[in-house]
Amino acid sequence: MSTVAFITARGLFGRRRALLLLPLPILLVGLALLCRAYDVSPDQWGRAVIVGLGLTVVLPVVALIVGTGVLGSEVDDGTIVHILTKPLPRRDIILAKYAVAATVTTVVSAVPLFLTGLLAGSAKLGAALAVASLVGALAYSALFLLFSLLSRRPVLVGLVYILVWEGLLGNFVSGTKVLAVGQYVVTITDKIAPTTMIESSVGLTTALVMSAVFIVLGTIAAINRLGSFSLAGETS
Amino acid sequence: MSEAGVIHDIGYQRYRGPRLGRLALQQALYVQGLRAAFGLGRSAKAKIFPWLVAGIMLLVAVILAAIRSQTGQVIFTYMQFADQMSLLIIFFVAIVAPQLVSRDLRSNTLPLYFSRPLRAADYVLAKYAAMTTSMWLLLGVPQFIMFLGAAFTTKDGFRGVWNELGDLVPGLGYSLLWALMFAGIGLLVASFTGKQAFAAGGIVAVFMMTTPIFGVFMSLPSTTANSLAGLTSPMFLIAGVGQWLGGGADAEWDLGRFGPIYGIEAFCLIVSCVLLLLARYRKVASL
Repeated sequence: MSTVAFITARGLFGRRRALLLLPLPILLVGLALLCRAYDVSPDQWGRAVIVGLGLTVVLPVVALIVGTGVLGSEVDDGTIVHILTKPLPRRDIILAKYAVAATVTTVVSAVPLFLTGLLAGSAKLGAALAVASLVGALAYSALFLLFSLLSRRPVLVGLVYILVWEGLLGNFVSGTKVLAVGQYVVTITDKIAPTTMIESSVGLTTALVMSAVFIVLGTIAAINRLGSFSLAGETS
Repeated sequence: MSEAGVIHDIGYQRYRGPRLGRLALQQALYVQGLRAAFGLGRSAKAKIFPWLVAGIMLLVAVILAAIRSQTGQVIFTYMQFADQMSLLIIFFVAIVAPQLVSRDLRSNTLPLYFSRPLRAADYVLAKYAAMTTSMWLLLGVPQFIMFLGAAFTTKDGFRGVWNELGDLVPGLGYSLLWALMFAGIGLLVASFTGKQAFAAGGIVAVFMMTTPIFGVFMSLPSTTANSLAGLTSPMFLIAGVGQWLGGGADAEWDLGRFGPIYGIEAFCLIVSCVLLLLARYRKVASL
């Protein structure tokens, strides 16, 4: 199991590919520093940076790239066969890959968000953002891992989820907010460290329970799906 | 064909008919790219995503036209339509740009293409033209539906239709600007990787992460920074150009005296994307 995790991590970071993940967090912290340097009140820029960039772009996009990268690229290349033919339970394969995806996403998004929160307000806000992005990373990773087993084009399915479901429908139809990971992240941040910058629209219990549902159901569905996984030929 | 180019002559009959030149190759690539953008001539799976986007946009246009014809209320103008649909446009770019260029990199078809009289520039321009056309159709057809809805229910007779046409034409030009800009950036990002998944993620990351910068610059205390805020993001850059050329009737933010800068940057961005694409395809062997 640890070997699977090691191979997955190397697949993500090997050959300088990890550098692709750097611009987003750097931009986030850089903007926060810029605003601090101009002495702008955090009430004015906090929403744009923390919610607009951090929670609705950096976290989901990093989770999407990493979450579909751990399994989707192996399905795409056909190298998944090498892992599937080893005498490992499918559950262990999924759990190892899920752990890598969630860890990488958490590190890449929680650290810059913590720094941004620190610059925007207090260490408490930073910690709240870090905790919320941990929950968000777990939920998003489970979801995108599942997508990469359900579809041959997981990134596009994930983009439909992020752009259309959370982005477009979330603005016009409030009912979808109960089923959007992004809203849970915002809510958890808001409940730990209430500020004027962040407004939550679902309850804390809903957020926590639904995050757990996403994590558990996503992982179980992914294990099930990999259990009966068949390698199709090149399509479309 | 000169006989000097023949390596082995094993006696087959030679082709003596007319040979189509670069122009025909370019045209073929263009048509193929345009069809591939909408998944035409490919399996049903390849049609899902482009037609999902196109379907939503057509649906919105029909709804807008219906509301306009029933109540006379204008919810989005032709220009606002493109701005409001920006997320879907980004998604469309993320679908189509990897289809057009990453697939060729992945399946190593480029050496085959370039063994013909086709040049790298022809390839790039054909792909760029195909992508631009597909995006322009994506925006223009819904705008035309909105126009039809307005034109058939106008109460001022022919003059009403003429006025409406006067609104539609700048709207279509604005859509073309969107198409040129987003096609250039999208193709450029996609041309760096053969993996469609990474290309799609990269494109979305580029567009999504530039948008909030606009909000940050807007919140800075300096009015110069506020006026220049739109320069940081392709989407707001286009909106700024639209505002500068359109007189700024529905200004989201004040351009100040920097309108021309928006025009210059938009032009430079489009040109540099195409130039970078051309530079990118100068050496294809070293992928």
